[in-house]
Amino acid sequence: MAAGYAWFLVLGSVFLCNLMKTLLPSISSFLSKMVQKDAEQESEMRAEIQEMKKEQSSISMMDEFARYARLERKINKMTDKLKTHVKSRTAQQAKMKWVVNIVFYILQAALMISLIWKYYSDPVTVVPSRWIAPVERLVAFPTGVAGGVGITCWLVVCNKVVTLGLHAVS
Amino acid sequence: MESTEANEEKTGSVSAAQRRAEIRRKKLLMNSEDRMNRIVGFAKNEPENNGASRRAAEPRFHLELDRTELWSSPSSSPRPSPFLPEASVLSGHSRSATPERRGSPLPDCSELPPSLLEDSLRQRPRGERASDDVGGSPHRGFKKYLSRFDDAMKLRGQLANEKPSQDGGSDSEDFDPFRIFRLIGSILLAVFVRVFVCKYLSIFAPFLTLELAYMGLSKYFPKVEKKTKTTVLTAALLLSGIPAEVINRSMDTYRRMGDVFADLCVYFFTFILSHEILLLIGSETP
Repeated sequence: MAAGYAWFLVLGSVFLCNLMKTLLPSISSFLSKMVQKDAEQESEMRAEIQEMKKEQSSISMMDEFARYARLERKINKMTDKLKTHVKSRTAQQAKMKWVVNIVFYILQAALMISLIWKYYSDPVTVVPSRWIAPVERLVAFPTGVAGGVGITCWLVVCNKVVTLGLHAVS
Repeated sequence: MESTEANEEKTGSVSAAQRRAEIRRKKLLMNSEDRMNRIVGFAKNEPENNGASRRAAEPRFHLELDRTELWSSPSSSPRPSPFLPEASVLSGHSRSATPERRGSPLPDCSELPPSLLEDSLRQRPRGERASDDVGGSPHRGFKKYLSRFDDAMKLRGQLANEKPSQDGGSDSEDFDPFRIFRLIGSILLAVFVRVFVCKYLSIFAPFLTLELAYMGLSKYFPKVEKKTKTTVLTAALLLSGIPAEVINRSMDTYRRMGDVFADLCVYFFTFILSHEILLLIGSETP
């Protein structure tokens, strides 16, 4: 019974992998948001800078130069701090993205290798060999079963179809 | 009496000046011919250039000119080259005209006033011009290099622009109406073949027929302007000197092969799927 659904198992695995692949950017950004908890601090800094700028615009530079300059220096300092913060956050995001991608590709490779290992000698499905002539050997590779559909062929076909389907949907 | 003498002296001096100018002009013109001969490959120590040999040299000279025009056409590279002849200030003449052509008593130069012509010739020392002429092929090589470098820079910019969009969707295949038609046709054919045809022959025979039909039908569908994707491969091919036309054609063939492969995958997948569904329902046994 289980052997009868091998084609579906492979199809489902390929579909999940492709779906995960399309969702990778959102997953990595979600994870980086989870990891970084000082996003609030950043927004606070932004608000503070805005306020200071507003205050600065209300001051006359000619009449209150000292105050104006002090405020200017404060704004510059805060902006530099924010820049450093944003830079570190971006670097961390890139790192997270890289890690998520690596993990995903390792998992995908492991899944594919295990599927190939499992169905190396068994075809995922069998049809009469005359139906798929003259390429029955190619289709049956690596099983060698006449009329069988080999895992490699089925993986390639599923991958292409799922990619097309997901592209049409998105 | 004095006035007549002075007048004679004046006319004498004017005529002497004119004579000197004439001699100089002739000398310059002779020089330009010599240079012309040097360009077309006649050595100085050859027996004095007779008319026949000069005539034989003429077509080669024109060929050289044409080639120079090809390479120094402004469309090939907008960058002002330091090798461009300075005498291009002679307005009305194309940049591509060589100094020799301007200096030579050829018909198109007769339009210029002789004073301007002499000035332009006087501005350039002989050595400079000779070096320009001799440096023709390095000039070409340099221009070629510059144009390729420009191409590389453009491609780099294009790649940098395209990268973010490719990151968003790794497979930027666009579904034009013909593509959708092909995919739907493949699905319908697979179902039809599974239900009716496959008992008698291979499933790939109807598929090949369908592909032939698509080839014929493709001209009845509106041509969609497909944006040529600039990949690292195309950039490398372009930089290695393969013409863009050849690359475009190969990419087009590659795309068509990709389309056929996608059709085949969809067809086979639908066939297997319908086969499995029919098996599941239990209506048929293979």
